[in-house]
Amino acid sequence: MSAPWVELDPTLVVVAAGTTAVGAVSGALGCFAYLRRQGLVGDVVSHSALLGVVGAFVLAHALTGSASRSLAVLVPGALIAGTASLALARSVSNRTRLNDDASLGVMLSIFFGGGLFLLRWVQRQSPPIPGHTGLEDYIFGMAAAMTRADLWMVFSLGGGALLLLLLLWKELKVFTFDPDFSRSLGLPSYRLDLLMMALLVAGVVIGIQTVGVILMIALLVTPAAAARQWTSRLSTMVLLAASFGAAAGAGGALLSASEAGLPTGPVVVLLATAIFALSLLLAPRRGLIARARARRTLGSTPPPAAGGAA
Amino acid sequence: MIEFWTLAIAAVTALACALSGTFLVLKREALVSEGLAHAVLPGIVIAFALTGNRTSPLLLVGAAAMGLVMILAVQAIRRTGVVDATASLGVVFPALFSVGVLLTSLELAGKHFHADCIIEGNLALAPLDRLELGGRDLGPRAFWSVSAALLLVGCFLLLLFKELKLLTFDGELASSLGFRPGRVHVAWLAVVSFTVVASFEAAGSILVVALMIAPAASAVLWVNDVRHVLGLAAVLALASAFAGHHLGLVMDIAPAGPMATSAGALFLVSLALAPRGILVKGRARRRALAQLEVDLVSARLEPGEPRDCESVRGELGWSPRRFGAAVARAVSGSALVHDAGSGTLHLSTGQAEG
Repeated sequence: MSAPWVELDPTLVVVAAGTTAVGAVSGALGCFAYLRRQGLVGDVVSHSALLGVVGAFVLAHALTGSASRSLAVLVPGALIAGTASLALARSVSNRTRLNDDASLGVMLSIFFGGGLFLLRWVQRQSPPIPGHTGLEDYIFGMAAAMTRADLWMVFSLGGGALLLLLLLWKELKVFTFDPDFSRSLGLPSYRLDLLMMALLVAGVVIGIQTVGVILMIALLVTPAAAARQWTSRLSTMVLLAASFGAAAGAGGALLSASEAGLPTGPVVVLLATAIFALSLLLAPRRGLIARARARRTLGSTPPPAAGGAA
Repeated sequence: MIEFWTLAIAAVTALACALSGTFLVLKREALVSEGLAHAVLPGIVIAFALTGNRTSPLLLVGAAAMGLVMILAVQAIRRTGVVDATASLGVVFPALFSVGVLLTSLELAGKHFHADCIIEGNLALAPLDRLELGGRDLGPRAFWSVSAALLLVGCFLLLLFKELKLLTFDGELASSLGFRPGRVHVAWLAVVSFTVVASFEAAGSILVVALMIAPAASAVLWVNDVRHVLGLAAVLALASAFAGHHLGLVMDIAPAGPMATSAGALFLVSLALAPRGILVKGRARRRALAQLEVDLVSARLEPGEPRDCESVRGELGWSPRRFGAAVARAVSGSALVHDAGSGTLHLSTGQAEG
């Protein structure tokens, strides 16, 4: 095993910067979905984005004649498909007897199945559309293919999402913890809900190139679940989740570069899972060890609540 | 003959998935199928790597055990009380899937276990992998494994239908009646996990999820009784399998995507046309609202006493458009009479007597 981070290979610097940024942004944005107990929504959004990515590619090819796989084309497609699938799922569960889980699952089947359908059709075209081979990478992710232009896209979209989060921090906080109270304050809850969706979709979209649509969910849920164990303050939790995500992203990029053939996405996810497992064990107060010790000294203590931070 | 076996494998897979998926959809745990469809991957890869061939039925059981590991891990994390159920699923299944992908890329690089098969399966090749017993060819191995899954699901439904229904709709009543809902639930999820593993090879993860959720979700919009939901889900799943297979043949692509899309399309059709779909329910609600408006206007009138339209509209505080539409409906339904000359409204005599 060599030590590539000493050599500072420029490609690796781009990739590591990208995965770190992706980890930080999705860690921060994932906290809100986690606290609203909508952890798996991100999974549906990311799978659905495949249809948008492939659809945008096909549309760009049909309109301009030259297919482009640049993120500037694919990101809007993914944004539209992700939001559409989420909005459809929401309206199905609001207006029929189907519950959230079922309507999300159906939308996942439609959008991911449709995306795969379209992808296989694109790959069958003759003469072959140039650039279509890279589309496959969105399924499992291909961090190593990240270019400098992609990096700027990640930075600008991720930075924009975080900025919006900061600007509307108070509103989003109230809305997350107490939607009824936020409504009574006169906050536009429908628009806040849409904004939350859009932020989540943005977080997903910048991440799918790195870890792929299947594993994206782990970057949203796992750092948030880990961070929740250490603190009950939202600001601390968001900062911690962002740091955990960034650490997993950076570590994953470096580790997978050190061993040939090691895919980045799964390594990032397993690092994040390790951080979660350690947090579950070691965190003060909520951690399993701390609770076992407290139980020994005090007899029995009631377990802390699962959901909201204070 | 290969064509026949391909269709047979697709049909049995569709049935097994739809029947086991129905209770997941009803019990608000549809996304558990998404979790299982990914979490069994390391089980399959390890089982494959250990033996090098996949002919032993024990390997199916071994891989299914990985699904059970996921379910128990999710329950254990949830039971700590510090992470809710959805999030624990969201932490556990990507981790297991990552292990599976890493093992695939490290151990099996170059062998015919390709990454695409994880998502889409390989229905086209499945009929070529034969099960032989004592030198006799018994047909494709995949057919026998999905049939075993279907048999298992069928037996479970026949023997424990009551328990399953009880724990799906009222877990607390189930435990107060002396059932062990936890045990039945875990046993059921083990059966589901086996179904996922058996279907995985031919169908891949996307199709397993689509066939487990979409037909059941569609059926729920049409019928009420659990038995009817099961039956309709099975029919819809078969239809999606056949339609998708045909589409795949015509377009010369792997059938998993087209099958999943067909299942989704059938759901959208149900959403539009079924009695509990969006359109029909929306129309019923609009009709009820329209009737309510007519009733509100009528309530402002006394029998035999015509009133000025504008003053009634003022009392109700409605826009001219809304009021006009309500009056027009009332007149066409002959509840009210509108005298255009004097601009007054009065109840029609039939209404007054009724």
